[in-house]
Amino acid sequence: MLSHLDRKLLRDLRRLKGQAAAVSLVMACGLAMLIMARSLIHSLESTRAEYYQTNHFAEVFAPLKRAPNHLAEQIRAIPGVATAQTDLSVPVTLDLPGITEPASGAVRSLPDFGEPELNRLFLRRGRWLPPGSRGEVLVGEAFAKANALNPGDTLTMLLNGRRQAFLIAGIVLSPEYIFESRPGAALPDSRTYGIFWMPYKEVATAWDLYGAFNRLSLTLAPGANERPIIVELDRLLRPYGGLGAFGRKDHPSHIRVTDEIRVLTILSIGFPIVFLSVAAFMTNAVLTRLLALQREQIAILKAFGFTNRSIVAHYLKFAFVMVIAGVMLGLIGGMALGTKLVMMYELFFKFPDLHFRLDGHAVAIALGVGLGAVTLGVLDSVHRAARLPPADAMRPEPPAHFRPAFIERLGLARLLSHSFRIAVRNLERRPTQAFFTVAGLALATALLILPNTFKAGIHEVLDFQWDVVQRQDLNLGLVEPSSARLAHELEKLPGVTSLEPSRFAAVRIHFQGRSRQIGLRSLLAGGLHARAVDHAGREISPPTDGVILSAKLATVLGAKVGDTLLLEALEGRRPVAAVKLRALAEDFTGIAAYMELHALNRFLGEGDVITGATIGLDMSRRTEFLAALREIPRVATVAIKETMRQSFRETTAKSMGLIQSVYLTFAVIVAFGVIYNNARISLAERARELATLRVVGMTQREVGAVLVVELVILALLAVPLGLLMGTGLTTLIIGSVNTETVRIPLVFTTYTYSFAVVVVIIASTLSALVVLRKLNQLDLLAALKAPE
Amino acid sequence: MPAADRREVIFRVRGLTKVYGEGTAQVRALDGVDLDLHEGELVVLLGQSGSGKTTLLNQLGGLDIPTAGELLYRDTDLTHATEHQLTEFRRDSVGFIFQFYNLIPSLTARENVGLITEIARDPMPAETALEMVGLGARLDHFPAQLSGGEQQRVAIARAIAKRPEVLLCDEPTGALDVRTGIVVLEALERANRELGTLTVLITHNAVMAEMADRVIYFSDGRVHHERRNAVRAAPATLNW
Repeated sequence: MLSHLDRKLLRDLRRLKGQAAAVSLVMACGLAMLIMARSLIHSLESTRAEYYQTNHFAEVFAPLKRAPNHLAEQIRAIPGVATAQTDLSVPVTLDLPGITEPASGAVRSLPDFGEPELNRLFLRRGRWLPPGSRGEVLVGEAFAKANALNPGDTLTMLLNGRRQAFLIAGIVLSPEYIFESRPGAALPDSRTYGIFWMPYKEVATAWDLYGAFNRLSLTLAPGANERPIIVELDRLLRPYGGLGAFGRKDHPSHIRVTDEIRVLTILSIGFPIVFLSVAAFMTNAVLTRLLALQREQIAILKAFGFTNRSIVAHYLKFAFVMVIAGVMLGLIGGMALGTKLVMMYELFFKFPDLHFRLDGHAVAIALGVGLGAVTLGVLDSVHRAARLPPADAMRPEPPAHFRPAFIERLGLARLLSHSFRIAVRNLERRPTQAFFTVAGLALATALLILPNTFKAGIHEVLDFQWDVVQRQDLNLGLVEPSSARLAHELEKLPGVTSLEPSRFAAVRIHFQGRSRQIGLRSLLAGGLHARAVDHAGREISPPTDGVILSAKLATVLGAKVGDTLLLEALEGRRPVAAVKLRALAEDFTGIAAYMELHALNRFLGEGDVITGATIGLDMSRRTEFLAALREIPRVATVAIKETMRQSFRETTAKSMGLIQSVYLTFAVIVAFGVIYNNARISLAERARELATLRVVGMTQREVGAVLVVELVILALLAVPLGLLMGTGLTTLIIGSVNTETVRIPLVFTTYTYSFAVVVVIIASTLSALVVLRKLNQLDLLAALKAPE
Repeated sequence: MPAADRREVIFRVRGLTKVYGEGTAQVRALDGVDLDLHEGELVVLLGQSGSGKTTLLNQLGGLDIPTAGELLYRDTDLTHATEHQLTEFRRDSVGFIFQFYNLIPSLTARENVGLITEIARDPMPAETALEMVGLGARLDHFPAQLSGGEQQRVAIARAIAKRPEVLLCDEPTGALDVRTGIVVLEALERANRELGTLTVLITHNAVMAEMADRVIYFSDGRVHHERRNAVRAAPATLNW
């Protein structure tokens, strides 16, 4: 049985349902973001942890050139090592039927008998490789999906130059490839890059690696420290072409999931704060209005003996109903959003079973934060109302005090129409309400800046990468370093309009105790394909000695131009040299170091050697070229620029589309809600004033203008502020998303700003129109009655 | 025939009926009122609460549509007027004075009047209207800075500034003390005399009837009876 006071609560709520709904919706936006982000973090973290545990994901990884299998015993003897597993990883190119462009990837070896100890696979479809199998392969799911490959299909692979057909036994996932992409690529391109697994014997035989390994994975004993083990591994593997061991936190696939979790963490804190502040204020405005209306009721309740506490509780309940509605909406919204985002994650992350898992704590936090925010928002006015002596409260509130607005005091009074004066004076009298309406509208505007800037930034990266830095049509990678004479052979292939040789070497760069392991790339003096460009977009001509570093890498190392770095090659004869940092290059994906081709070859001391080439191609002869290329066995990877570009474009369009629509929805809700709330309160507080204006002969339109002028002034203040806020917010968020793997430049365009302005104006106008329709229902006779 | 009747008829009211609600909850606020109101007349409506005075005023002022009967303002049929026509009528021809003044709190005295002169067809300057009610010295005060009597006089200035044909006043002194009330009545009487505006004044206060040309007594939604004063008493001589 409801108490009578609760019945009053319900009726008050029904009367203010529009405003209560606006508050709940704005709150729901923030809470949806909170619940979504926290739940996704929970989903990703718990799914990843379970995956790692079930499939025995290693903790330390070490790539190397080649070491005999018996070295594993020595490695297992390192104190703190629990398990060590050796295997092979070799490059592969593929012929896909119906697709002229070649795909490439890596083949990993599996034990000939039994399951691997570490990094176990998850079989999605088909079957495992039977013991001692030959001519069969397991295919990574991302590649299989992108190319519609099924168990039972055959796949033609070029293994160490030998073409061979393999039967696809099964489609698998690996904890090592949750993020399955070409090394160093910002986004996966599963159509032309894949991971494959074959028995050790088959891989080793094809590559003359029998009895050896080139990959090492370790797990550590409980409590063991990773650092000394990595140092010891590097020492042990050095004679075998060790490329530098690293822990999980530097594992490329692991990093990508961690990066995503980091972004979600930022979202789960920043957004709710802003949305909830606006919602808290809106609750305050609605309740303050209600309390002003109900002064007499409060007085009567108190006169009849209700305590201050029960009156405070009564009005807090009113606010709490809105919070609970907000939390429920937020929960529904958060789950819907989360489920959609999880589906989007499937574009990037491959888990055996990634589901949206609602984080129960997040719902509790949402409820707590929501209640806290509105309690803060309304406590003061509720207390003030409760403290009123009954006799005082029974008298109507004295007439409001006004004074000429600031703009009039500046001497501009003559320029102002009467409705404008009413508007500015009202705004000045209630600065808090005006402030938060402006803040809400500005927030809505700001929200719209982020997704478009993100999108423009990604396009900028792609354009920069492929139009400015890498101007070739395709990249060839060789199986292993070859004589530069191979370039002449490649140059003669049909359709080649230009060719520039390239050299790539794994190195470690040291500076003052800091170091980074990186691929050192060659630049050609006077080259037209691959270039390094400085922050102003000017080409940096490769110096005859010294290196060029990504600005980001220089920051990471703490080095500046002119400093001397220590360059340690991790392959070949492993020379070490002191080199000068000559220039800083602008780039957005990964971190890079460049050296002039001849200088690089001199440093490596292997003579005139190349590891690949960049090619300009007559695209009309592309098929012919690719067919001819297949006859050259030493080519390991082929990356066609246009294909990668297309694939990136599709992936970003899918993910950005979703994010954009979410932000758009939130912005519209906030703009609509804030304007609705403000206009409804103005309408209610000034019903008598507005009715009087109608009675003395103003048309509905003229009376509406009084309200609209106020909203227009607020919007004029809010929109530019919102553009500024959006710029700041976007700078902050994109800045915090930027890592060593991906950096998105800030590209603010006129389109981005105009879009935000137009959306906010449309949403506000629609909202104002909804409220103005209420003017039709204005009770003219109310003007003649006593004030409430 | 008394002189007033020879003056032009402004409102012609016949069988005017206003019913609120339906079924058993039905209230007949006006139950067949017959009345003519003339140019320049000062008419006082007297009667108890619920007798129908305010309902009649609302119909005259175009704030409400009668249920049945005839209501002509000159040649305009107000019973069938559109919302737009009613707004035009109020804007051009009617001045309202309310018991609680109903000034716009965010506008000064001058601006409250100016708001109306801005939209009127043939207004007098706001300052002139305020001079007429004796507030020439308080032009730039906000309502909160004025006494009740002063606020009501601003309301009168607002009503007369557009030179309306009709002034409708609902208990204009109801919220005021005697002395202030008399000042307000003087302002009303002066406007009626100098501008020749038909003035209809609702009151509970029988004493005020002395200042009228004609007094109409209401009861149960009908005109009970009416009387004419041979001489209009000056407001200053009234006492209640």
